Amino acid sequence: MIRLILAGLRQRRLRASLTAIAILLGVAMVTGTLVLTSQITRAFDEIFTAANSGVDVRVTPRTDFESMQWVIPTLPESLVSHVEGVEGVEKAVAEVAALGSPVIDGEYAQSTGAPSFVFSASPEPFRSTDLTEGRYPVGSGEVAVNEALATSKGLAIGDHLGVATRLGVMPVTLTGIITFANVTSIGGATIVVAPIGDVQRWFGLEGRANTIAVQAAPGVTPAALARTLSAELPGSVDVLTGEQDAAVQAAQVDQAINTFLRPALLAFGVIALFVGAFIIFNTFSITVAQRLRELGLLRTIGASRRQVMASVVGEALVIGLVAGAVGIAGGYGFAALLVWVFNALLPGGIPVAAAEFSFDIALTAMLVGVVVSVVAAVIPALRASRVPPVAALREGAEIPRGRLARFAPLVSGVVAILGVALIALALTGDAGATRRLLTMALGALLVFVAIAGLSRYAVPGLARILGWPLERLPGVSGSLARQNATRNPSRTAATAAALMIGIGLVAFVAVFAQGLKESVTGAMDRSLRGDLIVAGRHFQPIPAGSTTAVRSTPGVAEVAAVLADQVRVDGGERGMIYGVEPDEASRALALEWVSGSQASLAGLGPGDAVVEEEFARGAGLTMGDTFTATSATTHTARFRVVGLYRDQILFNGGFMASDTGIARVVSARDPIFMLATLDPGADPGRVKDAVTGALAAYPAAEVRTNAEYRDEISSRVDSILYLLYALLMMSVVISLVGIVNTLVLSITERTREIGMLRAIGVTRSQLRRMVRYESTITSGIGGIVGIVLGVLLAWVFSLGLQDEGIVFRIPWLQLAIFLVVAVLAGILAAVLPARRAARLNPLDALHYE
Amino acid sequence: MTGDGDRGPAVSAEGLGRRYGDGEAAIDALVDVTITFPRGQFAAVMGPSGSGKSTLLHCLAGLDRPTAGSVVLDGTPLTGLSDRDLTMLRRTSVGFIFQFFNLLPMLSARENVALPLRIAGTRDGDDRIDAMLADVGLSDRARHRPAELSGGQQQRVAIARALVARPTVIFADEPTGNLDSASGHEILEMLRRAVDEGGRTVVMVTHDPAAASVADRVVLLSDGHVVLDRAGMDADEVFDAVRGLDRT
Repeated sequence: MIRLILAGLRQRRLRASLTAIAILLGVAMVTGTLVLTSQITRAFDEIFTAANSGVDVRVTPRTDFESMQWVIPTLPESLVSHVEGVEGVEKAVAEVAALGSPVIDGEYAQSTGAPSFVFSASPEPFRSTDLTEGRYPVGSGEVAVNEALATSKGLAIGDHLGVATRLGVMPVTLTGIITFANVTSIGGATIVVAPIGDVQRWFGLEGRANTIAVQAAPGVTPAALARTLSAELPGSVDVLTGEQDAAVQAAQVDQAINTFLRPALLAFGVIALFVGAFIIFNTFSITVAQRLRELGLLRTIGASRRQVMASVVGEALVIGLVAGAVGIAGGYGFAALLVWVFNALLPGGIPVAAAEFSFDIALTAMLVGVVVSVVAAVIPALRASRVPPVAALREGAEIPRGRLARFAPLVSGVVAILGVALIALALTGDAGATRRLLTMALGALLVFVAIAGLSRYAVPGLARILGWPLERLPGVSGSLARQNATRNPSRTAATAAALMIGIGLVAFVAVFAQGLKESVTGAMDRSLRGDLIVAGRHFQPIPAGSTTAVRSTPGVAEVAAVLADQVRVDGGERGMIYGVEPDEASRALALEWVSGSQASLAGLGPGDAVVEEEFARGAGLTMGDTFTATSATTHTARFRVVGLYRDQILFNGGFMASDTGIARVVSARDPIFMLATLDPGADPGRVKDAVTGALAAYPAAEVRTNAEYRDEISSRVDSILYLLYALLMMSVVISLVGIVNTLVLSITERTREIGMLRAIGVTRSQLRRMVRYESTITSGIGGIVGIVLGVLLAWVFSLGLQDEGIVFRIPWLQLAIFLVVAVLAGILAAVLPARRAARLNPLDALHYE
Repeated sequence: MTGDGDRGPAVSAEGLGRRYGDGEAAIDALVDVTITFPRGQFAAVMGPSGSGKSTLLHCLAGLDRPTAGSVVLDGTPLTGLSDRDLTMLRRTSVGFIFQFFNLLPMLSARENVALPLRIAGTRDGDDRIDAMLADVGLSDRARHRPAELSGGQQQRVAIARALVARPTVIFADEPTGNLDSASGHEILEMLRRAVDEGGRTVVMVTHDPAAASVADRVVLLSDGHVVLDRAGMDADEVFDAVRGLDRT
């Protein structure tokens, strides 16, 4: 039996390899995801281990939660002498870290969203960096920078450069070049190392430290020292061994990768596998139908139904094994491709360690390949087992339909309803985000399966529409193509379904992204009254000093700065706290009031808050209530609700307090953005240039007009959109393989017809055109059904996300482009099959059986 | 253009040879066949299996390329014609009828008949198509698909398809081979009428002496040679001639 399977595969080599490719790409995507995420987590492991090299114990401020803001919590530097006095401590130093980009030749060096760190230089044994050239900075105004930066900017020891700080761009001299941790790439991050006094002064951290690094005395274990220190030190700090600290930080990154990046990327792999499964199913269905005689012959010479079924499943198994094995190699390639794509498309690259061969990943790849292809082949195999022995003897024998076949449309209908129900459940339910997303995905999957099953009924109609222009072209190719496409609607539907999934998801994200963009820009138009927006590059806060610089620029009438941080409300839900100067804000911001008015904003006292309606409902707050806000470093303040506003986009998920109010609970000093209102009659372009000039000392801040800022938001959404397109494109490519496969099989099946057509006067080019048109009709059906389905799904989603302020907008142009892409894909897929059809010798074709 | 005689024969071959394969394993399917089929003649080509009769038909129709000699079809020498030129010549000058009908399953009877006109890019000709269907007695079946027709009816559709473009020569490869004798008889009658009334030329490969007896002329092939070429044979004579061949 095994020899039979292998001989069969050898004989149908093209079909077997195309089928393997269909599944291989999905396997490669899944493998690649696993390879890449392990590269990333290992990179972070190494980074955090390096950061703690030589550190036996680390003392950090105790925090209740990780604030999303770039406010790194601090402890008093005076604690160092306290620590040094504890028995068993050999040495202790304060360490400070801040965010600030180098400025080289007047140019801001941070080009990506990857962080730009400024670290204080620690003495041995706490150095986490390796010196490759020069010496560590000692005196004020001396710095060392990371090697990648020095190389890319052509920096040499003794060069003068700047560092963007809260005080402006500080002039410094390069004394050393360092490397940090043993990672292939730190993802475009820059590192500046400077004496601690400089770093504290530059970033307003005089007398503060982020952590204290401690070395244990000889004979004292880190664990024992940690125990002693935590008993000795105040409760406002955490004490961990260096190893624990590295592990805790690495675990945080791991968690972020495991809960977001890995599932998100795996989802695209699963989609690709799903499309591949469709193709395997379709290919095996067609070949079983074509091999009736052969299968019947097996039965006549004594093969049992089970053996016939095993022969088909066995074929799938071999294909799955091959695809799995090649997919492993493909996975490493895909991981490398992803690194490249991320670096090109996403703000900020990602730190990655070198790829490593992992037995677990290889095993997973093999399993995925085998399981998917075998499962997809089960139904065709069952059908094969029903081939009666008499099929060997009779021309045109048919497989008896299974007992359940007549229920197929009903089943598809039920599956569709189930899918829609799941999506509805996910959108309206209040389970966790991951659970809801999974439910949604499962629902969407079921809808796709059901539509694939039902679309055979739409094939004739759609083929007529798509064939209409083709049939109007001179020659008979168009009408033959249309009729060929509709002669086996199930086959055409299944082939088109593979493309439908890819195009459908592309359409879905396009519509969704359009809605998102319009939601954001719409909210900006409604809420922001300023003429210019000053914001930090890559969403970092802007130094507070820049507010004064902007305010004193001629032409600027008023500046409203917005501070932000995170707090816990009444010890429960975490939310945003926004801080504004009430009088200015009441003129620069136009909130949509549910209770209260702009006057509530203008009159905001230090103990007052206006709360976003949705957040208030979640936290159980109404007008007049008071609540406690607790910062990450457990500072608390009480606020009274004096107004409720609705805003799901800009000032969402929290509340707004006055500038003095926010200072009562968090230490945020640097605004996340500023709104500048111009003097009446001032020319926005000229004032913008003036503001840019005034901000020369703060290169991290960027000035944009409202329109420019809207474009910036759009282009950010677009860059994520392109990444999603790129990932979904894999599914489209796989579905092309499916179209090629189906066409090749159909041509084999119709060899005699093709011979007859050639005999009665069809030219080679007419024949090629016929195949091309059929392919176009099939891919057009996939495109149309996919786009309609994608738009419907996006519509359902937008209904469910109305509360989040997501609107439903159809990007018509993009959808038209997708349809064109689908049709072009069809033309591309037809190249090889058309050539095969045209090459058939009419004489051989006529005698073909 | 005064008459058929001036336009030369419908199809003729001179010194025709067809060899398959090369070296030791080469097989000569046709050896030095010189034959002429005048216009308006119904010729039957007979011979045992492997005698080269199908090869002769294919070479005459321009489907197969001879390895020696030349063919002139409807006044056009086939030697050196490109695939495209051959295809164009087939459109205007040749009709085919096959043993297994070879209708397109997804087209109706009428659409199958219309196919040669549509292939050639002719949009009209509706009257002619309807007339063809009426001629083969299938006006009431025009909208049926091949699967809904009997074998005889399918072959009648194939005849209508072969005749619709008014080709010079109809090549029929065992047209009755897959039919019961009554249906086969009808088919032969129709071919006969196409010659007598329509002025077409029919070259029919058959191994049925009764079918051959309907023809004006019987050509007997053996091992790639023409061994007999006679007009006006009845079924018994044909039968004897073929049997005689088998014995040698």
